[in-house]
Amino acid sequence: MKSLPLLFLGIFFTLAFSWTGIILTSHVQMKGLAPATPQLVNDDGEPIEGPTYRERGRTVQGENAEGVTANPQPYVGEAQRGKLVYQEMGCLYCHSQQVRREGFGADFERGWGNRQSVARDYIETDRVMLGTMRTGPDLSNVGLRYSELWQYQHLYNPQITSPGSTMPPYAFLFEVQPVSETRGPSPDAVEIPEEFHPGDGLEVVPTRRAKDLVAYLMNLQQDYELPEMKFTQ
Amino acid sequence: MSATPSILDSINPSQDADTSLKARLGEVDASMRVPAMLFLISSVLWLLAGTVFALIAAIKATNPEFLGATEWLTFGRVRSAHLNAMIFGWGNNVIFAVAPWIMGRLCRARIRHTNILLVAGVFWNIAVTVGIIGIMKGDMVAVEWLEMPAYITPLVAISYALVGVWVIIAFRWRQSDHVYVSQWYLLAAFFWLPWLYTVAQVMLVFEPATGVVQSLTNWWFAHNVLGLWLTPTAIAAAYYLIPKVLGRPIHSYYLSVVGFWALALFYNWAGVHHLIGGPVPAWVISAGVVGSVMMVIPVIVVAINHHLTVVGLHKPGWASPTIRFVVFGAINYTAVSLLGSLMALRNVNEVTHFTHFTVGHAHHGVYAFFTMIMFGAVYYMMPRLLLREWPNAFLIKVHWWMCAMGIVLMVVALQVGGWIQGLQMNALSEEGTPVYTFLEVVENTKPWLWGRSLSGLMLLIGHIAFAVNVFWMVFSPKTEAQKSQPTLLTPSTGQS
Amino acid sequence: MDWSAYILVGFLFAGLFFLGASAALYWAHKHGQLSNLEKGATSIFDEDEPMGEVTDSFPEKKRKADSGEDS
Repeated sequence: MKSLPLLFLGIFFTLAFSWTGIILTSHVQMKGLAPATPQLVNDDGEPIEGPTYRERGRTVQGENAEGVTANPQPYVGEAQRGKLVYQEMGCLYCHSQQVRREGFGADFERGWGNRQSVARDYIETDRVMLGTMRTGPDLSNVGLRYSELWQYQHLYNPQITSPGSTMPPYAFLFEVQPVSETRGPSPDAVEIPEEFHPGDGLEVVPTRRAKDLVAYLMNLQQDYELPEMKFTQ
Repeated sequence: MSATPSILDSINPSQDADTSLKARLGEVDASMRVPAMLFLISSVLWLLAGTVFALIAAIKATNPEFLGATEWLTFGRVRSAHLNAMIFGWGNNVIFAVAPWIMGRLCRARIRHTNILLVAGVFWNIAVTVGIIGIMKGDMVAVEWLEMPAYITPLVAISYALVGVWVIIAFRWRQSDHVYVSQWYLLAAFFWLPWLYTVAQVMLVFEPATGVVQSLTNWWFAHNVLGLWLTPTAIAAAYYLIPKVLGRPIHSYYLSVVGFWALALFYNWAGVHHLIGGPVPAWVISAGVVGSVMMVIPVIVVAINHHLTVVGLHKPGWASPTIRFVVFGAINYTAVSLLGSLMALRNVNEVTHFTHFTVGHAHHGVYAFFTMIMFGAVYYMMPRLLLREWPNAFLIKVHWWMCAMGIVLMVVALQVGGWIQGLQMNALSEEGTPVYTFLEVVENTKPWLWGRSLSGLMLLIGHIAFAVNVFWMVFSPKTEAQKSQPTLLTPSTGQS
Repeated sequence: MDWSAYILVGFLFAGLFFLGASAALYWAHKHGQLSNLEKGATSIFDEDEPMGEVTDSFPEKKRKADSGEDS
């Protein structure tokens, strides 16, 4: 083949085709997604099943019920800052943030969630990190599964809470400092079991970044129902 | 033509009186000598850096306390540093050395104004260096394959444009009667990458799209960097080098045309198979699965062409370093692509997704296929550019055996280990509870990950042998070269 | 937008794509782009690197072959 324009057109259209199909179409389809209450209502304020209802042969989007919290909600303050720590540490490479449907994998049985994650769960997130690896467990609902203390201990040294874990220690997000003689132990100091404790007269205090990160992790909760996805009993 | 043609002359071929003259291959080679050396030396240095990052990350995957107190070497960062050093440091630099050279040879056109290529090369390497330092100091963009911070984007874009434009200008200057299939692949690749990169940068970094459209864009981009940039350049090199070295035309030229369009049509849909089971519209996933499965067509076509060209010529092939590496790469292109199509099937994906199987698959593609073909191309290109022979055959053999066996070990370890990991992750008892706790699954992957670290060590040895040979060749005195007639550019008549 | 609208748009694109591909194929056929395809395979060879000649081997082997010719 000798024609440059023809070759070029083919090269152009093949990629344009997939860009239109995968990205543009999804973008158009999801543009209308907004935080929603578990149950939507129709024009007359009557509850409806699912996100849409039929009216005079047309499909109409339901509206949020009044007086009920619409979800998801954006991360703010500490949690939002903690998200940046999560991003810069590359947590994404070992942890997913998506629960697959029941029967596809064992996400439900491992206690990672009690409903499938859906597109609406991520609309308020400025950096979506679904993840492609589960070297560590899924974190969609990690804020529901463990206490703050557990998170601090686990970040300081994963072996404290999860012996044999291959997660890297994030001790550099903590300060190991001598206990103040005048003021006594810091109120923030994390309780560390003796085996992992840095030594007598020392305490382990989380830095700003560790506190933010834990705030973010505690915020990772898909504990609400959406019109298109209810909890699985 | 004047000795120093202006840039305008170069952009518009019709203004030049000299256009009727086909450049001889030796002239094309000579025109690429300096820029190709710059890109090649950079790529080899990045290859070594990327391998060291990889080894650190691999050891951390079994022994997390290894260098665990150093924030900038934490697993998430050193892993990204490895990926970016390999793709944008090694991969792109070696493509920038090999692709314009092949393009120029096929177009019978000298590459002009190579000092612009030099500027591009310097910019590019500054960009990657700053980008990787940025990743390690905590400016990483948390998007797979797009980790280098946004402040290097302009530098990347400019230097890429400065390289890409010369590939296209070489094509406009072509003096050959026929456009060979490698030229299609190269032209397409050099056009696709900037488009992919621009869309990804805009929709993910500068104006992030809403919700999971980000994830879709991410995998459209990341998989297409492999599918529409690394793959076509490597296939182009193989389509050129296999027949060239063996002196036998490609098996079926007709099929190669079919293969090109099938790849162009199907590959760019395949990326979303990374999101199977995820919170994205089911129809997008279905389209991705269809695209992935349809990839069987171009893969089989390329397989027929590459493998049937070699059939019957195994002996001269084995005696050629280029053919050893390129054919190894071509065989693995067939294998990795068929595996990839399989992995896109939902019930296979249920096991392999989220496991080391996928990591093994990525190395199968980028290393066993792309990198091995590029090694082969370098072995063919260097003697012709420098007009001197490779200094040491033993080092080539070390390179070959360490890399071939190392990558086979890595892919087997990660994929067998990953398959077991996936089965154990999903295994349920009759009461519907997981058979293995998560930490048991982690424990069971460790022996396989040790295998991966071992394979990484083998690759490091191979890469050091390669680097020593390259630097030895570049910096050795030239006189030695002319005795051995390495390039066969002037066949035995010159020796009579 | 409704589902049926997406399907409609999808079909429209598929149709346009199909028409474009057909037109391109017809054009290529008419202008002789598809005739004598196999000739292209030999276009990479020339008098400097001719067909039928292996052009790469390990360095020492080559040196031996060369010296054999010289003597």
